[in-house]
Amino acid sequence: MKINPLTIKKFRRFKSIKRGYYSFIIFLMMILASLFAEMLVNSRALMVRYDGNYYFPTYGNIIPGTTFDLDYDYETNYRQLAGEFEKESSGNYVLMPPVPFNAYENDLKDDQFPPFPPSIKERHYLGTDAVGRDIVARLVYGFRIAIFFSLALLLANYTIGVSIGSAMGYWGGRFDLFFQRIIEIWSNVPFLYVIIIISSIMVPNFFMLILIMAFFGWIGITWTMRTVTYKEREREYVLAAKALGASNMRIIFKHIIPNTIAIIVTFAPFAVSGGVVALTSLDYLGFGLPPPTPSWGELLQQGWTHLDAWWISGSVIAAMIITLITVTFIGEAVREAFDPKKHTVYE
Amino acid sequence: MIKAYKFWLRGSLTMLLVFSVPVAAWAAPELPADIEWLTNDTDPVYASPEAKKGGTFRDSLLSFPATFRSVGPDSNNSFARVMQSNQLGLIGIHPNTENIIPELATHWAFGKDKKTMYFKLNEKARWSDGKPVTALDFAYTIEFMRSEFIVAPFYNDYYTREIDRIIVYDDYTLAVVGTKAKPDLHLHLNIGPKPRHFFGKLDKGFVRKFNWKIEPNTGPYRISDFKKGKSIKLERKKDWWAKDLRYFKNRFNVDRVIFKVVRDFNLMWEHFKKAQQDVFRITFPDYWHVKSKTAVIENGYVHRIWFFNDTQQPASGMWLNLDREIFKDKNVRYAFAHAMNVQKVIEKVLRNDYFRLEQHYVGYGRYSNNSIKARRFDLTKVDDYMKKSGWKRGSDGIWAKNGMRFSVEVTYGFEGHTPRLVVLKEEAKKAGIELRLQKLDSAASFKKFLEKKHDVAWMGWSTGMRPAFWQHYHSANAHKPQTNNISNTDDAELDKMIDAFRNSLDEAERIDLSLKIQAKIHETGAFVPTFMVPYLRQAYWRWWRLPKIPGTKNSDDLFDPFDPSIGGMFWYDKNLHEETLAAKKKKKKLPPVTIIEETYKMKFLENSKFSTVNS
Repeated sequence: MKINPLTIKKFRRFKSIKRGYYSFIIFLMMILASLFAEMLVNSRALMVRYDGNYYFPTYGNIIPGTTFDLDYDYETNYRQLAGEFEKESSGNYVLMPPVPFNAYENDLKDDQFPPFPPSIKERHYLGTDAVGRDIVARLVYGFRIAIFFSLALLLANYTIGVSIGSAMGYWGGRFDLFFQRIIEIWSNVPFLYVIIIISSIMVPNFFMLILIMAFFGWIGITWTMRTVTYKEREREYVLAAKALGASNMRIIFKHIIPNTIAIIVTFAPFAVSGGVVALTSLDYLGFGLPPPTPSWGELLQQGWTHLDAWWISGSVIAAMIITLITVTFIGEAVREAFDPKKHTVYE
Repeated sequence: MIKAYKFWLRGSLTMLLVFSVPVAAWAAPELPADIEWLTNDTDPVYASPEAKKGGTFRDSLLSFPATFRSVGPDSNNSFARVMQSNQLGLIGIHPNTENIIPELATHWAFGKDKKTMYFKLNEKARWSDGKPVTALDFAYTIEFMRSEFIVAPFYNDYYTREIDRIIVYDDYTLAVVGTKAKPDLHLHLNIGPKPRHFFGKLDKGFVRKFNWKIEPNTGPYRISDFKKGKSIKLERKKDWWAKDLRYFKNRFNVDRVIFKVVRDFNLMWEHFKKAQQDVFRITFPDYWHVKSKTAVIENGYVHRIWFFNDTQQPASGMWLNLDREIFKDKNVRYAFAHAMNVQKVIEKVLRNDYFRLEQHYVGYGRYSNNSIKARRFDLTKVDDYMKKSGWKRGSDGIWAKNGMRFSVEVTYGFEGHTPRLVVLKEEAKKAGIELRLQKLDSAASFKKFLEKKHDVAWMGWSTGMRPAFWQHYHSANAHKPQTNNISNTDDAELDKMIDAFRNSLDEAERIDLSLKIQAKIHETGAFVPTFMVPYLRQAYWRWWRLPKIPGTKNSDDLFDPFDPSIGGMFWYDKNLHEETLAAKKKKKKLPPVTIIEETYKMKFLENSKFSTVNS
């Protein structure tokens, strides 16, 4: 594949902005880790050796307790099993993930009440929430949901927003005027209320929520795209394409949009962080994804009602700061790397 | 002067002007000679003779009422209880003996037709503007409540469906006639007067005209001042006509009650700790156990009381929709009940503070069948019942049969209940049942239940004096929207018993039927009872004093300043106030006090696993 030398230059420039570049690597690693969260944070064992057989319970169906000659046929409690094997010392063993809890189970104690403070001994590295669920687990799985939610939302928003925006800029005239008015009206719909109303009469799932939010979220980028396209369509290359008989569709999608990609890419990281914040605040208000979906907003809400349990609000706020800062640094670096003033030199 | 008023009902609410013109028929109604006048001056008094008058009691409201009207749009707000409490009825119910006691009437009598009650009014009774309360004010109640100008369909309906007419014999003697013979007549015919001289002839402008007017009342307090959106002040009537009546004496002691609007619950707690509010309800486990570990309580300036009452318990739990294919099988319903680890929620989430509700009708005295025990969490029983109906566990551990998985949606409407449900969900998974939690806005969830669109409804029903079987379990209310039979229970045998219960006028027979019906309901297995809270817990600044037995069997608030039945039993102690302020100033510690009051604790709770907290 041939890469445009200009693009290579942009990548180099991006790499040279250390803060943004390392943020990007951290961010990628966070996403990657969250993709394999089941191997890192899970109540299911990575591997069980029992009577000479090996079991890998991480993915797939549940393995009932009876498989390991336990007296119940619901899912095996591997933490308990590990303890028993240790006592027996018969060569059977259980290999647990570093954080041996999933995001849903309530690890409750006999004489105390959650939230429990962080404890390395009990492997609740950030403590538990108000119903005894591990906070690391809630954070990791919550991150995975939030970030993919945000990326999917970005994709949806930009597909609609960019197409409509460039169409407005390209055709101009009545078409432009008409859509401008539509957008003005649309953007006056109080979008938060609409979401609250919708989610109070039906519980939105992941995709429903994206659909609802994209319904209002596409507006932002249209204005920018419209302006940029207005500028681009007067360029000679568009005239040339027209002269060659290219269709409008082709001109917009093959010629104009690739030339405005710098602008789209610059906005994207900020839109990602916006998406995370939007989902978190909706969850905080109780109008986001249905419980018990692991969610940062829900943790934040718990942190507020249990202010004395500092580890709840502390860890979720720290997690949010780290995520948002990395994304913002990436965004900053991208913006700088794609800044036309840096590499366009007129002589 | 003898007058009789009779009003006719035409069903439709849309008919205008039907009731606005009272039809006065000149007749000479004679009081039946064979009625026996009753009164009650022998039941124990429950107020403290030590009580002194004085002091200002400060409380807060989450929002300012949208109107002071007692009826019509927005009138059913949280402040309405204050207004209603200051309007006495003809008679009251003694909170401990549950016998009839006098309020506006001194004497009452039951008619032979079992649908009429006769009353003699207290001639001293006065409206807050000094006008006497007469029988005509009760006749006016009917005219008022049936008027379409008040825009209150519920009252329009109630005062036509339940009450046929008022007969006025003289200024202080009247009869209230019900529409049909009924058991517990006094619970249905106890109406309050409306001040005719204040409202006059109703018209279209009623709702707006009376929005912020303060209606004359007959109770101990009246609103003396208010700032819209900010505060409401009520002043005790110094020469209240009823202050020396047997059951009102030594009650309603504070001079002033001031409500301030504080729009956040957490903020109210802060106000309370700063002594800007005198009492705070700390029934919630985290308030009682965690948040009350605070300086003002540990230094003994604020006392805590845990008061067990013995009153009708709301029926909260899980209502299975029997119209759903999966719940048509009784074994599956039983298995579902045995898969709910309510005990674990009580122990691990609710800090052992709540009690297991055993069945729908707990706390109805002799009408309650206390031998019924809710189905406990039991995995072997789940297995037995499921296997009996031919279900097998699927590869994900969830029961399956003919392509159907035992996965049901549990709909609920209160965010605070999520911690309870997530524990139930995790435990149910062990039993091979998947619960899908659906949290809706509370109004939306209730709508869904009434439309019978749920699998499992997580909700509680409020209570009445007597068990209400027909609305919840009669087939007449099944399979159709907007009725309270949200489990769609439809059982011919149960119907027969409920009909018999409703038609019987004999108390012993009704009690017998009531117990049998409850046993039958338990056998149906459509309702999985969860929790009950047969007590209340409050924190109060120590200058407020309570009687030796601080409340009554039916008290739901020890510091209600107004309620004619249970309110106004506390009083202000000036010396203690000064002493506390002095101690606070000098940072002197006083002994912390936690009172646990079990006089009225339900008998069958005593053996249950429960540890009291040390003080």
